[in-house]
Amino acid sequence: MNFRKQLKEGVITNNPILVQQLGMCATMAITTSLFNGIGMGLSVLIILTACNVVVSAIRKIIPGEIRLAIFVVVIAGFVTIVDLLLQAFIPALSASLGVFIPLIVVNCIIIGRAEAFCQKNTVAASFVDGVTQGLGYTVVLVAMSVIRELLGSGRFGGGLIDLARGLTLDGTGAGIRIFPEEFGAGILTLPVGGFLTLGFLFAAMQYALKKSAEKKEKAAKKLKKEEASEA
Amino acid sequence: MKNVWKLSLVLFLICAIVAAVLGVVNELTYRRIDELQAQKTAAAYGAVLASSEGYETLCDQAFTVSANGQKVKILCISRANNGKGYVVETEVSGAQGNITMVVGVNLLFQCTGISITRHAETSGLGANAASTAEVGVNFRAQFKGQDESIALTREGGAIDALSGATITSRSVTNATLAAILAVRDLA
Repeated sequence: MNFRKQLKEGVITNNPILVQQLGMCATMAITTSLFNGIGMGLSVLIILTACNVVVSAIRKIIPGEIRLAIFVVVIAGFVTIVDLLLQAFIPALSASLGVFIPLIVVNCIIIGRAEAFCQKNTVAASFVDGVTQGLGYTVVLVAMSVIRELLGSGRFGGGLIDLARGLTLDGTGAGIRIFPEEFGAGILTLPVGGFLTLGFLFAAMQYALKKSAEKKEKAAKKLKKEEASEA
Repeated sequence: MKNVWKLSLVLFLICAIVAAVLGVVNELTYRRIDELQAQKTAAAYGAVLASSEGYETLCDQAFTVSANGQKVKILCISRANNGKGYVVETEVSGAQGNITMVVGVNLLFQCTGISITRHAETSGLGANAASTAEVGVNFRAQFKGQDESIALTREGGAIDALSGATITSRSVTNATLAAILAVRDLA
């Protein structure tokens, strides 16, 4: 198990949204404010980690034929737990994310990780995978929220930050106004803006990954040349 | 055949464990969730038709009213004890799930305000109808003073729909109309 390697994979080289392209529906739908982005990201992180641990713990006793059914039952259980806890203790977040919390049941990141990772790896590795993949998901949600909120409605940290009251966890913060709302591109707060923002993030990610791969290749070639000339 | 029994047993056991855990979590949270919902409804009553003397329930047997062709469930009708009018709890099907809202109706059968207490509309679109942000407050403010002729602008009325959320806006409008009709039939 290698925490740094897994962290790099989860957040960058194998990011669940930008590279594996999983769970995009909720990503585009809820990233309209920082409050939503962080709330959804952390909910997925918690559910993903819990499901990863349970799935890898029972991986040896579940028969292959019904593994998907069992994954779904486990995932649905954890999602319902988080849903009930949010309703009871953070009602503002529950109201704001609405149907997208129960919909985490069918979020393909979670079943994807269960199928691709947890059923072949130890509990500890699966736990780390849940945390790192969840972080990767949260980072992208936060980036999307910040971009859409800033360009769409000209503010930062809606729901979460209030200049007069500091951090607001009840979702009522007005956010920090960067420029007047009427100058914002309102389209970015609509679903179409979600598609656009996500598309640009995909492009940027692909560019960065390609650049880094080229760099590595060049370095490897250089090394080879040097070795050859030395010999 | 033996294999099928084994598979069923494993699946059954896992489902049973998950169900038991959920039962415990539900036991821990349902009181608080109900309490929050009751607080929300009480606050909504005060917001749509303030009455310092409280409310008297006239009818808590749910029935259905048809408004503009849409079926709206009337859950409960109460009279404000200060004699200013009535408060109606309604449930209507929105774009995603049911919308539960409270409508105040005065003695002239005009809406005195609406408050959405529970919904599952799309975040950022239909959910704006219930939002405490400017867009939600402005949307709901339009309902004040509306009577039986209430309708969306595109259908010849005076209610501007939320952008990207025509179905939600129409459902909320129809629920308000249904509340007015229900009070008029009762009074």
